[in-house]
Amino acid sequence: MKPGITIFHGDNAQGKTSILEAMCVLLRLQSPRSSALADCILFEKNAFAIGGNLVTDAGDESDMRMQYSSGGRKLLIDDEMQKRSADYINHSALVVWMANDDLALVRAGGDGRRRYLDFMASQLFPTYRPALRAYDKAMRSRNFLLKRDASPKWPEIDAYTKILADQALIVTRIRRELLTKLTPFAEQAQRTISGRDEKLGIEYLSKSGENDDLAAELLSRRSEEYGRRITVAGPHRDDFTMVINGRPAAKFASEGQQRTLALALKLAQTELFLSLREQPPILLIDDVFGELDVTRRNALMNAWPKTSQKLITTTNLDWLDGDFSGAARVEICDGIATIA
Amino acid sequence: MAQVDYPEPVKVLIAQLKRLPGVGPKSAERIAVWLMQRGREMTGPFSEALEKAGELVLECGTCGFFATAEKGCAICDGLGRDDSVMCVVEQPTDILPLERSGAFRGQYHALRGKISPLDNVGPEDLRIGELVARLKRGSYSELILALSADVEGEATSNYLVEVLGQVGKELKITRLAQGISVGGGLESVDELTLFRALEGRVGM
Ligand SMILES: [Zn+2]
Repeated sequence: MKPGITIFHGDNAQGKTSILEAMCVLLRLQSPRSSALADCILFEKNAFAIGGNLVTDAGDESDMRMQYSSGGRKLLIDDEMQKRSADYINHSALVVWMANDDLALVRAGGDGRRRYLDFMASQLFPTYRPALRAYDKAMRSRNFLLKRDASPKWPEIDAYTKILADQALIVTRIRRELLTKLTPFAEQAQRTISGRDEKLGIEYLSKSGENDDLAAELLSRRSEEYGRRITVAGPHRDDFTMVINGRPAAKFASEGQQRTLALALKLAQTELFLSLREQPPILLIDDVFGELDVTRRNALMNAWPKTSQKLITTTNLDWLDGDFSGAARVEICDGIATIA
Repeated sequence: MAQVDYPEPVKVLIAQLKRLPGVGPKSAERIAVWLMQRGREMTGPFSEALEKAGELVLECGTCGFFATAEKGCAICDGLGRDDSVMCVVEQPTDILPLERSGAFRGQYHALRGKISPLDNVGPEDLRIGELVARLKRGSYSELILALSADVEGEATSNYLVEVLGQVGKELKITRLAQGISVGGGLESVDELTLFRALEGRVGM
C-alpha cells in the first residue's frame, strides 16, 4: 500500500470490508466487528491466514504473518515465530477503525461501546488483553456451571467468582482511565465538527456493584443467579453514557448531533493515540465517505493525521474530488483486487 | 497391478507410532524406517525397554508419582522426608522440577489434571477425594498449592481452598508465590502477576 490514501472501490459484497478487516486482524489480532477471531473463518472452511509488510515512518520494514485455525494460532515476524501475542502486537502499528455503522455507538446497546473500549484499551494497555481474556474464560466456565446442574454447585462456581472479581478490577480500572483520557479529545472534536459550543459529558457505568467489588455483588445477588442461571454482574455488562448539554445523547440528541458524536468518538481515538504514541495510527475507514455530509467530511479530513496511512472502502466514487488526487485506487470485484 | 506399500509389520509399527503424542503420519513413517534400517541392534533393546517399563512401572496409589512394585515410590517410601507439609501439583511430572529445585522435601499429591468445566473435567475427575483422605489420616500442618497460573489452575486452587478449609483448622493452606521469571524484564509481566509479586515481596 502507498503511504498516503488508498481507496478500495467496488459494488457491495465484493470483499472490500473483508480486506480492511483482514488488515486489522493482521495488525492487532482482533477484529473491531467481532469479539472472537473464530468468527472470521470463512463458512465451511476451518482456518485462515493473513500476511503483509509493515513499513514504519522511519523506513523499517518487517514481514508480518498470522495463521489461525481451530487447532491454534501461529504468529510470525520476519519468519520468526512469536510465542507470545504481546511480542507480536508490540511490534505492530496502532489502528483506528471507522465504519458507517459507528452511529450505533451512540444509538444502540452497550455491546458496541464495550467493543470500542476493548479495541482501544487492548492497543494502549498491554495488561488489558490478558485480563479481558482471563475474565472471559472464567465467565464462560461460570455460566456453564450455573446452567449445568439443577442445583448449582456453588463451591465450584465460586472458584470462578474470585477470578472474575480479580480480573474485573483490572478491566474496569483501565476502561475508566481510558475514558478519562479520551473525554477531552471527544469534547474538542464534538465542538469542532458541530461548530457550536456543545458540552459533551461521558460517564462510565460499572455493573460490578459498590466500590467495584464484584465478588460481594455476586454474593448478594445469588437468588437472582439461581433463577436466571447466568452471571448477572460484571464488566461484561458495563457501559458508558454520553450527554450533550446535559441531555442523554442516545435519547434526546438530534440525528445530526448523534452522527457528529459518533465521528467525534473515532477522531478522539485518533488524537489519543497520537498523543500517547509517536507513530501515527493506521486509519481503516469502511464505507464512510459516501454517507458523510460536507461538514463532517471536512472535519474528518482536517483532523486526520497527515502522516497516517488511510485505507478507505467505498461503493461509489461520487464524493471523490481534488482532495484525493494523490490517492491510490484499487478496484475490488468478487474478492479480486486490481490496482487502477 | 496392486499398489506397492510397506510390508505389513512396518505398517503396523507406523500405526502404533502414530498413536504417540505429537507424532503425525510423516514422523511415524520416518521413525519406523529409521528403526528398520538399524535392525535388531536397535529394535531389540528398544522393545525390551518398552516391555519392561510397561510391565514394572505403576502409579503410586498415594501420591500419584511413578513407582515400581519392587522399589515402591521414591517419594512416599523415601527416607528423611518431612511428613508435616504436602505439596499439591497437577501432574506427576510436575514433581520432578520441584524436587530438582531442592527447596522442598515434604510429601506430594498429584491431582492428575485441573478443573475445567468447558472440557468436562470436574472435581470428581481429579484425585481430590484421595487428598482429603490423606490429610485426615496424616498430621499435616501446611498444604502448598503448586498449580498452574492460568484460569483453570486458579479455579482449581480456589476450589481446593474452599473444600479443604473444612478438613482442619490447624491446616495452613498456601500457594506458590508468583513473580517475575529470572532474566525477564518488567515490561513483559502482566498486571496481576506484578500485583502478586509486589504482595509477596521480600526484604533485602
Ligand atoms: Zn507416592
